[in-house]
Amino acid sequence: MALKYSDIEIGSDMPEYVTVPLSRTHLVRYAGASGDFNPLHHDQTFAKMIGMKNIIAHGLLIMGIAGEAIISWIGTKNLRKFGVRFLSMTEPVDLDDVEKTKDRATIIIKGKVIKKYKENGENKFECEITAQDALGSKKLSGFFIARLPE
Amino acid sequence: MADKSKMGMEFPVYTFAVEKDKIVEFAMAVSLKETREQINPIYYDEEAARRDDYDGIPVPPTFPTCSFFWTGGGLMGTIEALGINLGRLLHREEEYEYFGMIYAGDVITRTMKVIDMFTKGKGKRAIDVTVLETQLINQKGELVIKYRTTLMEI
Repeated sequence: MALKYSDIEIGSDMPEYVTVPLSRTHLVRYAGASGDFNPLHHDQTFAKMIGMKNIIAHGLLIMGIAGEAIISWIGTKNLRKFGVRFLSMTEPVDLDDVEKTKDRATIIIKGKVIKKYKENGENKFECEITAQDALGSKKLSGFFIARLPE
Repeated sequence: MADKSKMGMEFPVYTFAVEKDKIVEFAMAVSLKETREQINPIYYDEEAARRDDYDGIPVPPTFPTCSFFWTGGGLMGTIEALGINLGRLLHREEEYEYFGMIYAGDVITRTMKVIDMFTKGKGKRAIDVTVLETQLINQKGELVIKYRTTLMEI
C-alpha cells in the first residue's frame, strides 16, 4: 500500500483533504501545543485593539493541516522540502451561527504533481499545494518535494 | 519598525528535549482531533512507527517551528529583540528543508540568525520584512532540519 515513485505522474492530483470547520477551541489547542500564544489567535479584545473584527487562525495551523494532508499521502520520512506563503486570514466558525460561518472555517488542501526527477540517487517529485476555505478563498500556496522508492 | 541594525544577528543557542507527549499533543492539534486514538498511530505507538520503517516516534512536518516558541523568550522575546511591533506582525512564509528525522527523546540544539531585513514599498504602505534561518541539530551532531521564517510588519 505504500506509495511508489511509479505511482506518481506529472499532472496527477494529490488526494484532496477536507477538515471540519475550525473552532476557537481548535485554535486554543494549537496555541497550547505549539507555544504560539500571540493573542491575535485567541483574545477578541486584542484583535479589536489592533483594528481587526475577529481573532484568526495561526498561519502555521493551516500549514500544519497541509502537512498532515501530505504525510497521510506520502509519509513523513519521504518529505525533503515543504514551503508556503500565507495569503489570507482564517476566521473560526461561530458556534451560535454555524450555518453562516462554517464554510469560511473549513479548510481544503489540494495539490498537483509538477515535476519528477532523480537527484543524489533518490527518486524525487515536486508537488504544488494550496489551502483554501469552502468559499474558495486561498489561505496559502506553496510546494513540497518528496522522495519515493522505485 | 523592525530594527535593521539586527541584520546578521545570531540568537543565543538553546537546547530542548523532544517529549513524547508533546508530539501527541501537537499531532492532535494539527489533525483537529480530540483524542490520541484518532490520530496517526506513528505519533504515539512506537511499534506502529517501527512497522512503518521509522527509528522511533517521528514529529509532524511543521513541529520544528515549536522551537521558535519554546526557546529564547518565545514569540515576545524574539520580536522584541528584533524591534517588531506585535500588533503589526504577520507571518508571510515558512519553508522547511529536511535532512533527517527528529524522534521522540531527541535532544535538539537550535541556532537562529537574521539572514535578511528589508523594506518593501514606501511611506504609509511600507512593509518591513525580516527573514530568520533556524538550524536544528540532534544529540549526534547531525543537522536534521533547517527552516526559514519570513515575518512582515505592516
